[in-house]
Amino acid sequence: MSNQVDTRSKNVNEQPIGTVPPISICIDRVSHSFGSRCVFKEVSASVGAGQILIVSGSNGSGKSTLLRIVAGLLTQTSGSVAVAIDGAQAPSANCRQAFGYVAPDLVLYRELTGAENLQFFADLRGIKLDRGSLIDLLTRVGLRGRGRDLVGTYSSGMRQRLKYAFALLSNPPILLLDEPTANLDVDGIAIVERIVEAQQNRAGGGLTVVATNEPREVEWSSLQIHLVADR
Amino acid sequence: MELAANSSGRGPLTQRTSEAGTVTWVEQARAIFLKDLRAESRTKVAFSAIGVFTLSSLLLMALATATLKELKAFSEPRFYQAFDRLHGSSDVAVKSIVDAALFPAWSDSSKMAILWVLLCFAAFAGLSHAFVHEEEAGTTLALRLTMSAPAVYAGKLMFNLMLIAVVTVVITPAFMLVTGMHVGSPLVFAGTMFSGCVGLAGSATIIAALAAKAHGTGALYGALGLPLLVVFIALLMNAANTVYAPQVGVVQALKDVGGLISYGVALIGVSSITFRYVWEE
Repeated sequence: MSNQVDTRSKNVNEQPIGTVPPISICIDRVSHSFGSRCVFKEVSASVGAGQILIVSGSNGSGKSTLLRIVAGLLTQTSGSVAVAIDGAQAPSANCRQAFGYVAPDLVLYRELTGAENLQFFADLRGIKLDRGSLIDLLTRVGLRGRGRDLVGTYSSGMRQRLKYAFALLSNPPILLLDEPTANLDVDGIAIVERIVEAQQNRAGGGLTVVATNEPREVEWSSLQIHLVADR
Repeated sequence: MELAANSSGRGPLTQRTSEAGTVTWVEQARAIFLKDLRAESRTKVAFSAIGVFTLSSLLLMALATATLKELKAFSEPRFYQAFDRLHGSSDVAVKSIVDAALFPAWSDSSKMAILWVLLCFAAFAGLSHAFVHEEEAGTTLALRLTMSAPAVYAGKLMFNLMLIAVVTVVITPAFMLVTGMHVGSPLVFAGTMFSGCVGLAGSATIIAALAAKAHGTGALYGALGLPLLVVFIALLMNAANTVYAPQVGVVQALKDVGGLISYGVALIGVSSITFRYVWEE
């Protein structure tokens, strides 16, 4: 089974050879298999500050798997993923603190309130989250006034919004978004678009990787990887 | 790129929220311990599982041993009257030996063994919750993104230690009341109970992590736990015999309780090193 990878580059700023950019992700001939089933083969891409990498492809083509590999949550079968933060390059598994991750399989604690979830993850990351910051964060994702409610009582759209608050807690230089607007209404989609744009324009440059098939989201791309699953 | 026209760019939040600071694994472990405590205080899943199991076990024990107690109450005074007539007054040491010989299944050492079997099953009914719940709810992904493997292990171990300590403090007096088990040598008894709790929490935590990652909860938990528990129970029985020995030697007590605590510490040490291989996919 061999998968095809089509990498289309749009408006990519080339880095001078031999220098490490302040923020970048370099995916170098990454392949992944689950047992004997090859998900994708030799995917390569390089993306830098201010850019948005779109990973698209049919169901089962490995979009989410590639995102998990980039996040350091899954070890690829072959190839390498290097992440540069402030000019220092490291394997992606060592850079999890630099990622803001939103995905369908990311679940926050139903038995805690939205505010308690954010406070807990802030404590884990050593972030001082005062009341003002918490309210700002909840306001930014459209959950102001709902922070004291248990996550178990949230709708799926509200949970998706809370995932963005979780991802933005540490003001990460890299955002990894898998199906970013799933379950969101029009207001929620606008919030995501604002977050992505803010990431692109942030001081020092931010970077976003999006796994999606939504035409509207594909249009955000600076660089696109299209994965094709063999059936 | 088409984005919302009113995009505010870098908003007030990003200015107010600090970047990720340095945080030690001890602070992370404390945070996950407090989170588990808060979640448990709301759901009471682990306490309910342990509570229902222990209450029903104690009730069954009380019913099952009622006949034995009656038989003992009837035959024991007659035996000692006959013994005193033959040998003069019987002292406490002789009484405990004779007691063990007459009712081997009802000696304090045996009761201690039954207590620990009960505690083990109670612990396994509730302690797996810490990991299995995270895995089933899908919250492990968020934890893996934000904290180190040793911190997760330490936090879960702290919670399980607290849980088993509470269970032991509640169950042991109730068990003593139902079965008439004595304290024996108080220091050795306390040492054995403490060391037992450490060993039990240590083994239950790593087994729960293995079972959760293997997506199995009940049967697998028991199967994985057996090799670790056989050694633990054997050491525990040694210590229990020392607790109720007529003459407790300091060296023997240190050896038995020390063996038990060493097992717990070694298990926790090895688990904390190997846990990352269980935790990471």
